[in-house]
Amino acid sequence: MRVIWFVSQVLLFGVIAAKMVNVPDYFQYYVGGLSVMTLYSTAIFIGFDIYEEAEHGVFEYLLSLPVSRRQLVIGRSIGGGLRAFIYVGPLVAISLFVIGAVNPLSFAIALLALFLFSFGVSGMSIAIAVLIKSSDRFDIFMGVLDAFIVRLSTTMYPLKIIQQTNPIYGWTASLNPLSYAADLFRWGTGLEKIIYVQNPLLPLMGIVAFFGLFTLLGITIYERMIEGGGWR
Amino acid sequence: MKGIIRMVEHDFRNFFRYKWWLVGLISMNLADLFVSALVYNTILRPSVSSAIGSYFNFFAPGLAVTGLFASAFMIGREINMERRREVHHYMLSLPMTRLELAIGRVLSGGLRGMMYMSPLLLTCFIFVGFPTIWQLLLILAVLFMLAVGISGLSISIAVSTSSLEKFITARGAVYYVLFFCSTVFYPLTVIQSAGATLATLAEINPLSGASDMIRSILMPRFFSFSYLSIFYIAAFSATFTFTAVFAYMKILERK
Repeated sequence: MRVIWFVSQVLLFGVIAAKMVNVPDYFQYYVGGLSVMTLYSTAIFIGFDIYEEAEHGVFEYLLSLPVSRRQLVIGRSIGGGLRAFIYVGPLVAISLFVIGAVNPLSFAIALLALFLFSFGVSGMSIAIAVLIKSSDRFDIFMGVLDAFIVRLSTTMYPLKIIQQTNPIYGWTASLNPLSYAADLFRWGTGLEKIIYVQNPLLPLMGIVAFFGLFTLLGITIYERMIEGGGWR
Repeated sequence: MKGIIRMVEHDFRNFFRYKWWLVGLISMNLADLFVSALVYNTILRPSVSSAIGSYFNFFAPGLAVTGLFASAFMIGREINMERRREVHHYMLSLPMTRLELAIGRVLSGGLRGMMYMSPLLLTCFIFVGFPTIWQLLLILAVLFMLAVGISGLSISIAVSTSSLEKFITARGAVYYVLFFCSTVFYPLTVIQSAGATLATLAEINPLSGASDMIRSILMPRFFSFSYLSIFYIAAFSATFTFTAVFAYMKILERK
């Protein structure tokens, strides 16, 4: 399903929208952002696993394992992020081939940042899933969050254009972790026409902060909410 | 006739069970309009801008059609679930004819689509302009025809796929091809510059026909009314309504 979505976005929306807008190399720009959007929506899935485990009684088994709650959350965040990365890996490779990435060294750094980003998204998904406690409400909440977090980011259009459209949109996009990941990914490709960041260190720091914040939040919420069957 | 009304009532009750899911869908649609469309409005090529005016106004009718499609298609998911959980045996045991059951399901899918689409269409009217009463009736009639066709398409897929995964995959393929290869997001002139095949597909696409029909009424300066696109919608609707009614009656009885 996600592959169909990705391919149709690249071959239909990406190709046609590039002929509609006045942004240089918009097709390459869009495909770069699309990889990050796909990574984000895949990493979110770990939250749904939490509900499934709770439904099938696997949650109790996990809690009985000889690992601390902290290790459990960090392990799950990394596992969820890694899983998303493996899943999206072939699509990212296709994207790089399509847009013709040229700089392997900077791309390796961007890839590392994307790893941290997907771990952070997994941590966020776990934290929200444990906090909300209902798979239906989680599904809706993530849908609404997805609607705004993707559109108010630089995955689809450059920051300066968002700022021109509406300063509040621009301000939100400049603080959005999806923007950091998309900007770093594009920087990693080495294609100058689609690089809009002056200093890649800033989005990198943003991603590290996002990862740190949500891993910490995940641990805190997980530890507080699950004891004594509190996650039910 | 009574049976059809009962089925419509049954499906409407089910529809309201998904109210929070609908809230999520509406917020996604509104984010598309009030964020993405506004941003794209500022980066349009001058040639496109002169052909369509504002992208926000261009996209608003397309968004109503998007909402109509997504909600009318939901009936398929329910029918697929009923089939997997064998609820269809119960449905077949109801005191109504198979024809009433099948027509009721197709109709309710279409009506639910219309209902969900109404606030999006109203938003479009508020920002783009209000039609006259006759124009409004024409818009609603064409959109209802489209909604019934979409519901029929969804039911045809639902009864011919045995698992949820297969249904979701088929839905994804239909959904994305129909959307991205239509004039919902971009004008036909832009699609023509991307390829002749894509342009032909977009021209016969019923979603293009419905979006452009609303645009031709609300923005006559930029778009002209086409009887041919209404014919494509009618052909699409007739084909899938009959397919769905036939498939629902025959396939469910066989299982």
